[in-house]
Amino acid sequence: MELGSRWDRFRRSEAASGYMLVSPTALYAILLLAAPLGTIILYSFLTDGYLEIVRTFTLANYHEAWTNELYRTVMLRSLGVSMAVTLVTVVLAFPVAYFVSFHVDPSRKSLWLFLITIPFWTSYLIRVFLWKVILGFNGVVNSGLMGLGIIDEPLTFILYNVNAVVITLAHAYAPFAILPIFVALEKIDRSLLEAGQDLGESRFMTFLRVTLPLAMPGVIASVLIVFIPTIGDYVTPQLVGGPEGRMVANLIQLQYLKLDNYPLGSAIAVSAMGIVTVVSLLFLFLNRRYLKGPKS
Amino acid sequence: MTVEKPTMIEFRDVHKYYGDYHALRGITAKIRAGEFFSLLGPSGCGKTTLLRTIAGFEGISSGAVMIDGKHMEGVPANKRPTNMVFQSYAIFPHLTVAQNVGFGLRRANLAKDELARRVGEALEMVGLKGYGARAAHALSGGQRQRVALARALILKPKVLLLDEPLSALDKKMREQMQVELIKLQRQVGITFILVTHDQEEALVMSDRIAVMFEGEIAQLADPETLYRRPNSKKVADFIGTMNFLPAEILSEGPGGIEIEAQGLGRVTLAPDQAPGAASGQGATVGFRPETLTILFEGQPTAERESMGTIEEVVYYGDMTYYDVRLDGTASPTRISMRNVFGRPVLDIGARARIAWSAGALVLFR
Repeated sequence: MELGSRWDRFRRSEAASGYMLVSPTALYAILLLAAPLGTIILYSFLTDGYLEIVRTFTLANYHEAWTNELYRTVMLRSLGVSMAVTLVTVVLAFPVAYFVSFHVDPSRKSLWLFLITIPFWTSYLIRVFLWKVILGFNGVVNSGLMGLGIIDEPLTFILYNVNAVVITLAHAYAPFAILPIFVALEKIDRSLLEAGQDLGESRFMTFLRVTLPLAMPGVIASVLIVFIPTIGDYVTPQLVGGPEGRMVANLIQLQYLKLDNYPLGSAIAVSAMGIVTVVSLLFLFLNRRYLKGPKS
Repeated sequence: MTVEKPTMIEFRDVHKYYGDYHALRGITAKIRAGEFFSLLGPSGCGKTTLLRTIAGFEGISSGAVMIDGKHMEGVPANKRPTNMVFQSYAIFPHLTVAQNVGFGLRRANLAKDELARRVGEALEMVGLKGYGARAAHALSGGQRQRVALARALILKPKVLLLDEPLSALDKKMREQMQVELIKLQRQVGITFILVTHDQEEALVMSDRIAVMFEGEIAQLADPETLYRRPNSKKVADFIGTMNFLPAEILSEGPGGIEIEAQGLGRVTLAPDQAPGAASGQGATVGFRPETLTILFEGQPTAERESMGTIEEVVYYGDMTYYDVRLDGTASPTRISMRNVFGRPVLDIGARARIAWSAGALVLFR
C-alpha cells in the first residue's frame, strides 16, 4: 500500500515525465553508444589470437600503439590535419557569420542560413568525390590554370596529400562552424557596438574589444564541433589523402578490417579518443574566461 | 549673471529622411553650454533620432549640426566630444565594472595606478565606490545606469547625451536618480541633453525643454514658460493637464485682447497670454486645473467667479480632483484642490462657486 501510493505520486511528478521524455534517447544512447564504447575499451586490454580474441588481460596493445613509430606519426599527422582544418574552417566561417549577422537584412537572415546548409543536400561522399574532380591531375583547377597559361603542367601538390584533406574537410565542416558563431553574434546587443565607438574606439578596435570577446563562446563551440569529428574522419583521407594523407581512422580501419587485430585497433581508437579529450579540455581551459558569462 | 552662455550645440535646419519617411523636419535650435536640456515628445517624434545625430550614430539628410562651433559632418562617433548613456545602458557584459568605466581611457595610455585612481574617482562620483571588481552582469538596473554614467563622464565630454536613461527604473528609483542627475550635472558643469517622453521628468530636471512632435520642435522654452504659456493646444495637452473652453475674440488692441469665453464670460488678456501663432481653427481659452479654486461656504467672494455642478470626484489623498461643469459649458472642467484637514470632500451633484483669475488663462487661436 505504502509502496503503491509512493509509486502513484512518482508517476504524477515532474521528474517522472522528465524520465519518460529522455528514456527513448537514453536507451538509444546506452545501447548504441555506451555499450559499443565499453566493448572497445574491453577489447583494447585483451590479447589478439589467430581468428579469435584471447581473454587474457594485457597492456601490450597500448605499448604498441604508443611506441610504434608508424602509429605515432599518423596520430601526430591526424592532430595536425585536424588543427589545420579547424583553423581554416573557423577563420573562414567567422566573416561569413559576421556578414549574415551584421549586414544581412533581418528578414533575409533565415534565407541565408538556409543557403549555407545547401551543401548538406548532397551526400558527404559525393562532395568528397567532387573535390577529387576539382583538384585532380586533369581536374578543374589544373585545366583552368593551364588554359589560362598560368602553369605549364598540372600541379601535383593539390591532390593525394594533406593539403587536399584540409581543403575538403574545411569545406565539409563550414556550416557547422558558421552556425554557432552566427548565434553568438546575433546575441550581441547592437548598442554595445555603438557604446564602443561612443567611448572613442574605432570600428576595428570596437570589434577587437567588444564583438570578438562576446563572440568567443560561439568560436569555441565551432572549434570543438570541427576539431573533434575531423580527427576521426576516414573517408576524406581515404579518397583524397593519398598514402601520405592517411589519418588515424584509416589506421584503425586497417587494424580491424584488413589485419583482423581488434585489440590493437581498439587500443589505437581509445588512445585517439583520449588525446582528443585532453586537447579539447586544454583548449577549453585556456579559453575559460570567455565561457563564464551571464546565464541569460 | 545675465550674460548669455555660449552655444554648445547648434542645429541648422536639420532634415533627416529614412527612405520616404521624413523623421526630422527642419530642426533649428541652439543648446547652451552647461545647460540641462531636454528633448521631450511622444514616441516616434524624432527626439532619439535628433540625439543620435549629435552622437554621430545617425547622419543627416540636409542642414548642419555644430558642436562647440565645429561642423560635425563626416566626423565619426568616436571622434566627437560627446558621450552617451544608452537606454539599455549598453554595459559590456564580458568586463568588470572597473573595466567598463575605464573602457574609453585605453587611448589615453595611463599608468596602471593612474587609471585605477580615475576609475575609482568616477565610481565614487556615481555612488558605486568599491564596486570596481564586480562582474557587470551581476548589477541591478540602477547600478548599471550609474556605471554607464561613470563610463561616459570619466572621459570629460563636452556634452553628455542621455537616451531615456530612467525609463527602465521603477518609480522610486527614477525619482531618486532624477535628483542625483541634477546634482551631478551641477557638479561637473557639462552640458546634459536628455531624451524623454515623460513630461514630469523633463519639467523636474531641465533648464530648457524642446517639445517635439512629428519631427519638428513645437516649442522651446524653460519649464515654467512651457507649463504656463504653452504656444499650442498640442503642447498644452502634452505637458500636464489643461482645460479648454471655446472662446470668441471680441477685440484686439495694444492694450490686450478682449474675449468672451464660455462659462467664464468677458475677459481682457495681456498680449503674452496668446503666445502661439494663429492656426485659424477658432479661439480656445486654456487653463490649468490648479489655477481654479472651489470656494467653500464662508470663504469671501473672489474677483472672478463662476458657478458649476460637480460631476466627478477623484480622491488622491493629498489632492482631490473635481470635474466641474461650469454653467453654460458643454464639457466638464478639471479642478485640482489640495486637501486641507477638516474640510470635507464635496459630493457629486453639489453646486459650487469657482474662483479663477484672468492671468492664468492662455488663448489659443
